[in-house]
Amino acid sequence: MLKSQRQKDLVFDSVIYVVLFIIMLTMLYPFYYVLIASFNKGSDSLLGGVYLWPRNFTLENYRVFMDDPKWVKAFLISVLRTVSGTLLGLLLTSIVAYGLSHRDLLFSKVYFTVIVFAMYFSGGLIPYYVVLRSLGLLNSFAVYIIPSMLSTFFLLIAISFFREIPAELKESAHIDGAGELTIFFRIILPVSTPVLATMALFMGVGQWNSWLDSAYFVQSEELRTLAFRMMEVINKSNSPMDSLAVANSASAGVTSFSLQVTSMVVSIVPIICVYPFLQKYFVHGIMLGSVKG
Amino acid sequence: MELETQPRSLGTGGGRRSILWKRFKKQKVLHLFVGLGMIYLLIFAYTPMFGILMAFKDYSISSGIKGIFTSDWVGLRYFDEFVHDYQFGKLVRNTLVLSLLKVIFAFPAPILLAIMLNEVKHMAFKRFVQTISYLPHFISWVVVVGVSYAFLSADVGVVNKALMAMGFTDEPLAFLTSPNYFWGLAVGSAVWKEMGWWTIIFLAAISGISPSQYEAAEIDGAGRLARIRYITLPGMKGTIVVVLVLTIGSILGGGLVGSNFEQAYLLGNSINNPTSEIVQTYAFRVGLSDGRFSYAAAIDLIQSVISVALIFSSNYIAKRVSGSSLF
Repeated sequence: MLKSQRQKDLVFDSVIYVVLFIIMLTMLYPFYYVLIASFNKGSDSLLGGVYLWPRNFTLENYRVFMDDPKWVKAFLISVLRTVSGTLLGLLLTSIVAYGLSHRDLLFSKVYFTVIVFAMYFSGGLIPYYVVLRSLGLLNSFAVYIIPSMLSTFFLLIAISFFREIPAELKESAHIDGAGELTIFFRIILPVSTPVLATMALFMGVGQWNSWLDSAYFVQSEELRTLAFRMMEVINKSNSPMDSLAVANSASAGVTSFSLQVTSMVVSIVPIICVYPFLQKYFVHGIMLGSVKG
Repeated sequence: MELETQPRSLGTGGGRRSILWKRFKKQKVLHLFVGLGMIYLLIFAYTPMFGILMAFKDYSISSGIKGIFTSDWVGLRYFDEFVHDYQFGKLVRNTLVLSLLKVIFAFPAPILLAIMLNEVKHMAFKRFVQTISYLPHFISWVVVVGVSYAFLSADVGVVNKALMAMGFTDEPLAFLTSPNYFWGLAVGSAVWKEMGWWTIIFLAAISGISPSQYEAAEIDGAGRLARIRYITLPGMKGTIVVVLVLTIGSILGGGLVGSNFEQAYLLGNSINNPTSEIVQTYAFRVGLSDGRFSYAAAIDLIQSVISVALIFSSNYIAKRVSGSSLF
C-alpha cells in the first residue's frame, strides 16, 4: 500500500518535472536562438539548420548595426527617453504621492476620486491624440516623456508606501523648521528607495519598450526609437520581396533578418541586465498593486 | 480626523470656515504638490474623456480641442455607420473570438503552472523555472513578434526549416500570413509572454494556505492529486475569481494576457486580415491613418461601454456564484 503510494508519487513528480522542464525550454530557447542567429552570418542563417550554436560565426551584424547612424541614433533616443522619462516620472509621481500621503489633507476625498476615476476610465486613443496635437506635443521628443509622467497605478503604490513612513520623522523635521520640499527631498525620498526602485524599473522598462508613440506621434526620422526601428526591420525582413536580399551590399552577408535579430538582442540585453533588480522588487510591487487595484 | 472635528464643531459657521482656511493655509505646499497631479490628470486624462463628445459630432482635426465643443452635433450618425459597415460582422467576430480564446486558454495556464510549481520540492529548480517564466513579460511585443517571425516565417523561420528538413511538409506553412493560423498564433504568444507573470499572484495565494491542512490531509491518506483538488484549488478560489473578473472586464482589450491591440496590430497583415483585424485596430486605422476622427471615436466608445458593462456583470455574477468579488 505504502509502496504503491510512493510509486504514484514518483510518476506524479516525474510528470511535473518533465512538463516544467519543457515550459522552461520554450521560454528560454527563443532568446537563445535570437542570440546565436545574431552571431551567425546573415546569408547563412537563411539556409536553415542553425539550432544550437552559430554555424558561421561573425560579428559583421553588430558592426553594420553600429556603423549605421540610423540605428545608433535610434538607440540613443531610446536611452535618452528611458533615462529622462523615468527620472521625471519618478519626480512627479512621488511629489504628488507625498502630498496625498498626508491623512489629514483637506479635500483628499475629492483628490482620490479624481485619481481613481482616471484609473478606470479613459477617453480612448483618438481624443488623446487630439489633445497631444493641440498641445503641440506631436513630432517632438517631449511626446515620449510628458504624457507618461504620471501613472495613477504607481501613484497609489507610492502613497501607500509613504503612509508607512513613521510620522515622527516628519514631525521632528517640522520642529526644526524644515519646509515640505526639504522634508520631501531630504527625509522622505532617502527612506523610500524600495518603492522608488520599483517604480523606476517599471517606468524604465515601459519607456524602453514603447513603440506606438514613435510610430504615430512622431514623423521626424531623427526621433525614431529603437523599438520603432526594430518593428520596421521586422516587417521588412518578413516581406517576401526583401527577406532574401542582402541588406547592405558593402557588408558581406548581412540580411534584414540578421539585422532584425541583432537589434532584438540590443533591445533585450538592457532588460536582462536590470532583471535581477526587477525581480527583487516586483513581487512586492504586483502584490501591492493587486491589493490596491 | 475624529479628534479634530470636535473642537471645530464648537465654533460658529464663520469660525469653522476660518479654521478650515487656516488648515488649508498650513497645508498649502502639499496642495500645491497634489495640484500638479490634478492639473496633469485634467489635461491628459479628463480632456480626452470630454473628447469622446466628438463621437456625436462632425469633428475635424484642424479645429483642435475647441472644435470638440463647437462642431455640429450629428447624433448617432457614426454609430449607425459603424453598425452598417461592411466589415462590422468580421470585426465583432474577431474581437470576440480572440478574447474568448484567451480566456479559455490563457487564463488557466498560470493557475496550472502555479499548482505545478507548488508541487516541486526542489527549491532551486522551482525558483529557476519561475525566474525564467516571467522574463518574457518584460520584453516588448515588438520583440515577441520578432521572435515569432524568426521561428515561424515561411522564408527564414526555424520551425518551417525544421519541418521541411524532417520531411513533414514540402511547402513552408504560412503561419504568419494565413488567416487560419492567426488566432492560434495570438493566443500562443500571449500565453508565452504572460503566463509566468500571472503565476506570481497565484503562487502568493497558494502560499497563504496553512501547511497544517496539507499535513492533516496526508494523515487521512489523501494522495497528491486529492490534495491539489481539495486544498490547493479551494485555497486559490478567491484569487481566481478576482483575476477572472478582471479578465472578463478587460476581455475586449485582451484580458490579463497582453493587449489584443498590440498583437492584432503587430502580427496582423493584409493576408491574415480576415481574422486579425479587430475593433480596436480598425478604429486606430480609420482614425489615425484615414483621419476620420469622429468615426473612430464612436467605434472606440462602443468598445469601452461594452467593457464597462462586462466588468460590472461579471463582478455581479462572481459575487452571486462564489461569494468573492472585486468590489
